[in-house]
Amino acid sequence: MSDNLARVLSAHELRPDIAERADADARRHIEIVAPSTHARPRIVYALSAVACVGAIVVAQLLLSVGISQGAYEISALRASQVELGRTADSVSEDLIRVSSPQSLAANAEALGMVSNSTPAYLRLSDGAVLGAPASAAGGQAGAASLVPNSLLAEAPVATESAAAVAAAAAAAATTSTASAAAVPVTNGLPSPTTR
Amino acid sequence: MAKTSMSSKRRVAATVAVLVAIIGLFVVRLVDIQVVRADALSADSLGNRSVENTVYGARGEILDANGVVLAGTVMRYDVQLSPKNAKEFTREVDGEDITVTVADAAAEIGAITGQTGAAIEAIIADALADNPESDFAYVSKQVDVDAFRAIYDLEIPWLTFARNPSRVYPNGAVAGNLVGFVSAEGKAQAGLEIGQDACLASDNGTETYERGADGVRLPESTVTTDAAVDGNDVVTTLDSDLQFFVQQALAQQAQSTGAAWGNVIVQEVKTGKLVAVADYPTVDPNDVSLTEPEDRGSRAFVAPYEPGSTFKALTAASVLDAGLATPNSEVIAPYRYLPANGADVNDSSGHGDLRLTLTGVLIDSSNTGMSKFGELLSDQQRYDYMTKFGVGSVTESGFPAEESGTLHPADEWDNQTAYATMFGQGLTTTALQVSSIYQTIANGGVRMPVQLVSGCRAADGTLTEVPSTEGTQVVSASAARDTADMLEMVYQDGWLANTWEIPGYRVAAKTGTAQMPDGEGGYTKGYLVSVSGFAPADDPQYVVSVSLADPVNMNSSAASAPVFQEVMSQVLKKYRAVPSGAAAPDLSGSW
Repeated sequence: MSDNLARVLSAHELRPDIAERADADARRHIEIVAPSTHARPRIVYALSAVACVGAIVVAQLLLSVGISQGAYEISALRASQVELGRTADSVSEDLIRVSSPQSLAANAEALGMVSNSTPAYLRLSDGAVLGAPASAAGGQAGAASLVPNSLLAEAPVATESAAAVAAAAAAAATTSTASAAAVPVTNGLPSPTTR
Repeated sequence: MAKTSMSSKRRVAATVAVLVAIIGLFVVRLVDIQVVRADALSADSLGNRSVENTVYGARGEILDANGVVLAGTVMRYDVQLSPKNAKEFTREVDGEDITVTVADAAAEIGAITGQTGAAIEAIIADALADNPESDFAYVSKQVDVDAFRAIYDLEIPWLTFARNPSRVYPNGAVAGNLVGFVSAEGKAQAGLEIGQDACLASDNGTETYERGADGVRLPESTVTTDAAVDGNDVVTTLDSDLQFFVQQALAQQAQSTGAAWGNVIVQEVKTGKLVAVADYPTVDPNDVSLTEPEDRGSRAFVAPYEPGSTFKALTAASVLDAGLATPNSEVIAPYRYLPANGADVNDSSGHGDLRLTLTGVLIDSSNTGMSKFGELLSDQQRYDYMTKFGVGSVTESGFPAEESGTLHPADEWDNQTAYATMFGQGLTTTALQVSSIYQTIANGGVRMPVQLVSGCRAADGTLTEVPSTEGTQVVSASAARDTADMLEMVYQDGWLANTWEIPGYRVAAKTGTAQMPDGEGGYTKGYLVSVSGFAPADDPQYVVSVSLADPVNMNSSAASAPVFQEVMSQVLKKYRAVPSGAAAPDLSGSW
């Protein structure tokens, strides 16, 4: 190709008549070919361009429909997230409130529990009793209200019916007699002897 | 040809004229929109599309040593209404439209907020009387989530809601004296809330987003202009369960003895950590208004008093440390002692000359006997011991507005003060300082910094501002041991032996009954009665220090002894301090 080009260039310089003829040849060549090649691609290109534009428009429409659909979904989810967050807040506040010492003490007392102020320990290794055990006298009964908590104003105190308490006490009595059978303490943790 | 050119020229002229007219119209409109009404329109459009939202940063929590929340942040809601729009409206119930009058709506709101319907109507009427165009009035501030939801579900068109984060104290008055409280606007006002405000404080942020005509947030339009910063948590050394127990025990005894006020301190011997600091009366930070202003703080930190005889343990430890006496050193303790410097020392009740050992001086709590031991040291030496024990300076607790008490320099003591300071008069200490003195004696003479806050905990769990845990040797270990042994004798043989007995345990304790200054240089008739001690005596774990001011029904330390007994046994039980079973030392009180 470069070889050919060089030859044309040299012809131009050395022999203008040949160059002129070559130019004329080129002009005639374009005039003939141009009309036949122009007409057909124009329609194809136009159609494809229009189709492309159409496709883009449709795609964009779909996309924006999708996005705005998503926006509604997000909005709805956000709203339900807020609602759920409020529910979580509400129940965790309730939980913290009822787990306050005032609430626990009042409920324990309502269920008939008393605290024992004389600590005593049973050492497992040799079964020794450390301290001086005594039965509970219920030192601080009714004192829960001395340490106020205005959050608990409306919180109900769990009161079991007297029958339920009695039944529980009876059940406790049976289990304690059952387990009262001596468990030998030898070394370390006590374990029942099995044969 | 000329004709056509004329008509075409006219046509061109007409077209140009029409074009100019149209462009002119556009220009006028453009100027109108872009220049004349620009501000109003753009504000309008922003208002329609763009919404600015406050993002609340949560103020940090105050926690006890086990992570129990003593102070936390919750979201509350302010209910507001538009008085000028408060009219009847229709509500759809089961497919039927029902007209709801203002009175009905007010009654419905009132049933939830605890107001009367009339009160809410009055709010509307008042606002309208003030300004007929009034568009804003509060119905109720800081209602909780449940109430907010219930009111929201009423779908009353003229109600609006605003979020308003608020402080909550789930345990009520438990440690309310220490935690403090914040104002309705969220400003720290007392206690750790204000002392640790730098750690707790949060920063609110803002976010802006755009929304469509139907109120839906446009995707990807959120711009956080200012990020919210949550506060850090303050971790205290307290145990909320024990604190509750101690407050109960104190309140019960204070009420039955008619005490004006009182406090109880429980301190860990080995670390100096405060496990419980109870005050009576005490504040419920959820509703500060229920408590008198002077009862809203912690007197244990801010109310110094003359400690009285509990201070004798310090004098005894100083004399032992200086090597000038032993627990068995002997003195003759008269009822009245007139030292050479002209002072005049009396015992609380008349008695003949007693032949007491140093141990016996503590058991009988003899002022004259203690004077004879105390004078073995120079005033300056005793002053130095006192300052090393922490008397006269604020502790390391970091509690806001903590008092240092008053300890004048030794060269300013007059003759009487020089002796009075040996048995805890002529100087003032806070309850905390007394507790610290006993901690030092219990801990082999090593005073640990008093600790209330273990640090400021960031979201990632790192603890900053951790206080120093370096102790100082105040008296020798043997002097401390001997003092502890003598205090055990006081517990065992003192006049309250039956009242404060904790079966099975070895305890060391000392009572104090001090006259209370009336603030005008004299003394009132009331006494401040106290008991300080530690257990188990052979391996001390906890100091318990009880003070009751002016218990009118029982004006002696017998009033505070039951609280000491109850609290100490609870502490020993709770922390599983097992009695060793070893025999107590046998020191003789007389000779």
